[in-house]
Amino acid sequence: MPTITINGVACEFTKGQMILQVAHANGLDIPSYCYHDGLTIVASCRICLGEAMAPNPRNEGKLEPYMGGKLFPTCQTAAVDGMVVNTDSTKAVANQKAVMEYLLINHPLDCPVCDQSGECLLQDYSFSYGRGASRFEEQKVKQPKKDVGPNILLYSDRCILCTRCVRFTREVTGTSELYVNGRGNKSEIDVFPGVALDNPLASNVIDLCPVGALLDKEFLFAQRVWFLRSTPSIDGITASGDNIWIEHNEGKVYRVKPRENLAINKWWITDEVRYGWKHVHAEHRLRSPMRRKHGALIEDDYKRAYEDTIAGLKKAVGGGKRLALLVSPNLTCEEAYALGTLAKLIDPQAVFGVGPVPFVGEDQTFPPGAAADDAKAFTVRAEKAPNARGVQRVLGAIGQMVLDADAFLARVKEPDIGAIVATGNYREDWATAEVLGAIDRAPGGGESRFVVLLDTHGTPLIDHADVVIPGATWTEKAGTFENAEKVLQAFEQAIPVIELAKTEGQIALDLIAEFHGTPGLADHRASVVIVDEQPGQVPQAVEVVAPRSRLFNAADIRTEMADRYPGLSAFATDVVLPSVDAEKVEGVEMVEL
Amino acid sequence: MGKTAYDGTPRHLLCKRIPTPPFGDWNDRHYVDYDEYVATGGYVALRKSLAQSPDAVTQEVKKAVVRGRGGAGFPAGVKWTFLPPVPEGKAPGDPGAERYLAVNADESEPGTFKDRLLMEFDPHQLLEGIAICCHACGLNKAYIFIRGEYYLQAERLERALAEAYEKGIFGEKCVQNSDANSGGGPRFRVDCYVHRGAGAYICGEETALLEAIEGKRGYPRIKPPFPAVEGLFGRPTVINNVETLCHLTLIMDEGAEAFMAQGVESTIGGPPSYGTKLMGMSGHVERPGCYEFELGIPLRLFVEEHCGGMRNGKAFKAAIPGGVSMGILGTDQYDAELDFDIGRKYDVLGLGTACPTVFDEDTDMVAVARNISRFYKHESCGQCTPCREGSGWLYQLLCRLTDGDARAKDLDLTLELAESMGSMPGTTICGLADGNNFAMRTIIQKFRSEFEAKLKPAFVTATVGAS
Ligand SMILES: Cc1cc2nc3c(=O)[nH]c(=O)nc-3n(C[C@H](O)[C@H](O)[C@H](O)COP(=O)(O)O)c2cc1C
Ligand code: SF4
Ligand code: SF4
Ligand code: FES
Repeated sequence: MPTITINGVACEFTKGQMILQVAHANGLDIPSYCYHDGLTIVASCRICLGEAMAPNPRNEGKLEPYMGGKLFPTCQTAAVDGMVVNTDSTKAVANQKAVMEYLLINHPLDCPVCDQSGECLLQDYSFSYGRGASRFEEQKVKQPKKDVGPNILLYSDRCILCTRCVRFTREVTGTSELYVNGRGNKSEIDVFPGVALDNPLASNVIDLCPVGALLDKEFLFAQRVWFLRSTPSIDGITASGDNIWIEHNEGKVYRVKPRENLAINKWWITDEVRYGWKHVHAEHRLRSPMRRKHGALIEDDYKRAYEDTIAGLKKAVGGGKRLALLVSPNLTCEEAYALGTLAKLIDPQAVFGVGPVPFVGEDQTFPPGAAADDAKAFTVRAEKAPNARGVQRVLGAIGQMVLDADAFLARVKEPDIGAIVATGNYREDWATAEVLGAIDRAPGGGESRFVVLLDTHGTPLIDHADVVIPGATWTEKAGTFENAEKVLQAFEQAIPVIELAKTEGQIALDLIAEFHGTPGLADHRASVVIVDEQPGQVPQAVEVVAPRSRLFNAADIRTEMADRYPGLSAFATDVVLPSVDAEKVEGVEMVEL
Repeated sequence: MGKTAYDGTPRHLLCKRIPTPPFGDWNDRHYVDYDEYVATGGYVALRKSLAQSPDAVTQEVKKAVVRGRGGAGFPAGVKWTFLPPVPEGKAPGDPGAERYLAVNADESEPGTFKDRLLMEFDPHQLLEGIAICCHACGLNKAYIFIRGEYYLQAERLERALAEAYEKGIFGEKCVQNSDANSGGGPRFRVDCYVHRGAGAYICGEETALLEAIEGKRGYPRIKPPFPAVEGLFGRPTVINNVETLCHLTLIMDEGAEAFMAQGVESTIGGPPSYGTKLMGMSGHVERPGCYEFELGIPLRLFVEEHCGGMRNGKAFKAAIPGGVSMGILGTDQYDAELDFDIGRKYDVLGLGTACPTVFDEDTDMVAVARNISRFYKHESCGQCTPCREGSGWLYQLLCRLTDGDARAKDLDLTLELAESMGSMPGTTICGLADGNNFAMRTIIQKFRSEFEAKLKPAFVTATVGAS
């Protein structure tokens, strides 16, 4: 393999790779602003310049100064076997310092009020490559703040004109909303009058922007980034399986960012995935179990809810009727497995169904007109649920037959169904007329049956259930989703489950334990809630206990799945785990805040 | 072997149909139409070229060492040989074999006005040069990128182009595609278009020019790929200056020797400076204007003999040899010869466009520097950080220097900034920053005392002793 020496480190490379790419692949830092793996190379910021000696084939391969010893952009110069490159030479360092000084002369230096502060390349490189003090005593060029699109603000005065954002709208989305206006140091990024930066991928420019020029309206002044913790996760909104970071603090999600995965989402995510997590903190989240008492639903504790559930299910099946289980395409594969196992335990011939899969329009490919199989194209999925295939796969392996939502809803109207366990977990109200008409304690006024609902948000369906147990969104659990391309990807739990809710997987395990009559589900969590016992009385603090059986651990469940069902062996071998290199800055001590 | 010193006897003028001092009176100038052009020996060179193979034409031009008249002085014939061959079995213009010529008629370098004459009065000479180049290099389309302010010139070019199409120089029935093409080269249709610029200096830079013709923002391109391989619309492209192409008519009509008999050899072992050159003189002289001389004419001779001397009998102080980007000649460099050796001999960037601007003894060189730096600040395309930010900063510093509001450290900083930008040190994409670098650096170095005279005194630390 050809080898190049960069700053004294010998690096192997494949032909055609740029020097900067080779350096980055080998963990060497060469500063760069305008270069981005996903965009064309323009070599305009000029901070990556280096000097080199290269073998001259016309002089017996002797090392000679490359380009006459001039500085050249490492981002745009292909590596040559035997070349010796230095970005730490006196000349190169002088250029880095000059470029840093130039970039800052017209920069407002308003880090204390800038959202990018803490994850800004200007800050990082000032620290690593800058000169510390500025010699600029003149007037700065002032530039306006602009509202460039529904989700995006542009603080032009912070812009360093790397043109990454412009190239993104030209090359990736093909929508070309952004352009450079003006010349010289009056240049500014802008949109054409009346044309907003508004496309399904638009907000990626916020991440692309190396400085705090392009900002997220949602995240504006919401949180200092150094308080945020990042958890690797998978798109829980659509079927594309985009790799994401969920960034959160103290149990609250603040933003979602793309996580690089060249096979799936590359460096981007859709705005839908980026902003689609609002339901996680919605007002109408279900926070406590409920059960029907004297015909009315009341909030109650887990112990009674579990007892009611198992008793109700056993009774229905004992009466010679079937149990029907509807698993939402928003649940994880592991949860589908646990719920399926529970259902089979109660009724070995339980009817399985996959919940309704929402579709919006058709798949959309960017840039427009690109073939869907074009490696460079980005597809926005019309299918708006993360795991329809995974649920189908798991239920199919452990049950006889899996019905789609329509067939399931038709099937449960039949009189031989004695109990229904339904799971929701939808972002939007999923209780359509068809759902309400089928999942009911006495559909069409017919024979009554026992209905258990596991859901995250309050919908009219609650009134159709005998027991309601609050579930958890994907940000609050770990698990595996299978995307539209049939890739199984695992993700981690980002934030704790809201109040008294539990993940659907944990609920299933608890119910299995309850079914076996496992003596005393462990009182794993006690929480104090204020209960207004009777009108007029002083509110009383009551300790509510959430009993729990074996802890639902997604990784253990995957092993169990693969062990028990040959059809699920893929869960031992094919699940892509989030690979995360914790970024460490040398010489900087990390402190827990 | 040509002569080594200027002797002032050109016989083959580029401006033979455009009366130009010292060989004619500029009041006699008029538009030369097709008929007059042909009657005075026009389009003979094209027919002679077509009777030769493209390779033979390229060799003849290479032999003549026509150095680019656009500023860089790169030999045209050598540039042409960088083109990849026309794909086997195809003629230029066939799908997959399109090849272009971009004619640089942007002429925006301050103080430069020479291509203008060639287009305004004798555009057929340029069209003939274009047709010869297209034959030699196998190019099927030529785009003349003309400076937006040259409205009259663009109109004249359009008029000449219409005549040329009608007379079968270009278009479907062009000479290249007819029996006149008997030299064994491929036959193909040649087209020529006029594309007007919108007034940005940077669009004269060859790759920005290509972007501009493509309808994009005039950002110079990074190289490689070089235009000869991947130029206009991603196809092999030759870029030449108007004057460079006009010289082809003489070379192909009377041979390389006729061209080489004019101008001078290098006296420092460099490549020669053959041929005549249009030189637009501006500044503090009695008779500014565009003249034609053999290369190698000393600046002093040019000013004193032909321009009526310095204006109002003042003394010479400084001169820009050919466009502000070239830097400045000092008071003791009045004898500098205007040929391609000038860069190395007199510490300037080069001959540039050979259109000098002369300053007399009353000129404030700090103000000159400020004025020039304002130009670069205004014209930097804004792509490269050092040029975009540095040019603005330099201008601000020079404003303070002219206002007498700067200290010694500011002068040093000005020099340091100027030196940090340019593609010669490799820190920028195009040569605009080099121009800025050279202009500032040479002015400050050659006239430092004037700058120092404007400085505020440095602070002195005084110790007050208590006794
Ligand atoms: C900033 C800049 C501006 C330029 N402007 C012009 C111009 O206006 N006209 C021109 O002919 N060449 C100009 N040039 C030179 C061209 O880049 C190029 O060298 C020339 O057109 C090549 O033609 P030639 O070899 O025939 O001289 C400019 C170069 C730079 C770097
Ligand atoms: S807004 Fe950001 S991404 Fe766009 S050019 Fe400016 S610095 Fe670069
Ligand atoms: S050197 Fe200046 S003019 Fe040339 S490409 Fe860079 S920024 Fe533009
Ligand atoms: S990263 Fe190489 S020039 Fe910007």
